[in-house]
Amino acid sequence: MNVEVRLYATLREHAPPESPAGVFTATIPDGSDLAALLAVLAIDPAKVHLRMVNGVSAEWETVLNENDRVGLFPPIGGG
Amino acid sequence: MAKPDSAECSLSQLSAGRMPLRYLRNAGTIGVAGQLKLLQAKVAVVGAGGLGGHVIELLARLGIGNLTVIDGDCFDETNLNRQLLASMGTMGENKATAAAARVAAINPEVRISSFPCRLTEENAGELLAGADVIVDALDNYSSRRILLAAARQLAIPVVYAAIAGFTGQISLVLPTDQSVRQLLQQPLAEDRGVEAALGNPATTPAVAAALQVQEVVKWITGTGQVLSGKLLYFDLERCLFELIEL
Repeated sequence: MNVEVRLYATLREHAPPESPAGVFTATIPDGSDLAALLAVLAIDPAKVHLRMVNGVSAEWETVLNENDRVGLFPPIGGG
Repeated sequence: MAKPDSAECSLSQLSAGRMPLRYLRNAGTIGVAGQLKLLQAKVAVVGAGGLGGHVIELLARLGIGNLTVIDGDCFDETNLNRQLLASMGTMGENKATAAAARVAAINPEVRISSFPCRLTEENAGELLAGADVIVDALDNYSSRRILLAAARQLAIPVVYAAIAGFTGQISLVLPTDQSVRQLLQQPLAEDRGVEAALGNPATTPAVAAALQVQEVVKWITGTGQVLSGKLLYFDLERCLFELIEL
């Protein structure tokens, strides 16, 4: 199945070269959860702070569905 | 030229249904009733750096009647690219002290209490008590955890923001709301986020601070939709604003 992935800020460096803006489609096995998606994208989970699926904060165990929109955000703490 | 009205004078004018000249341009949005609420409100700002400098400036111009500012740091040259209160004249000066001088120069109606110290578990309760709302303008996770714990204890809402590079995130954390607290409780390798690599350019704190102050205004005046249970994330480089349900 396909999901739309949006990588923000420093996580954009993990996007495919043809998608430098960090927005691309990833193909993953049916029934995959967020953790599995991250493994496919080869992103270290420690680099991800906030996870979003279809505009709602999600957990690593959240199971994804076809055409879900996944957003991954790094920790930011500046002031 | 006539000097602007004093706080007492503004309060009596507002109570009589008239908008003082100082706040006349607020009439069409905040209105007389809202302005009266702002002038009677007390807001605590924790941190007077990148976010805090802009937040304090806007709160003073809006006519928040009572401000508490807490910051133990002093200005240095690396602050000059973005921190509104940092200038050649304030180098080496404590940030909370500089805030008091700036507020007095803008709006003497505002009663400001400045505390040149870090927020700690020991002093948080005493420094924050009595505030209607607290603005989180801190720059690290450990201090934010102290602030959110104290605010929960005191049952005071917190307007949270954090920035890194051209990105930022804002939320209104009500005393009963656990979502942002849980986000900040997640174990992290460092006490800071990716701003350690990206830095903080001038525009990001200005945008985040304006959004924070708007949350303060909405909360105090009881108008509009607040960011409770939601997190507004922005990326100025991509012209992107995402509203995330927490």
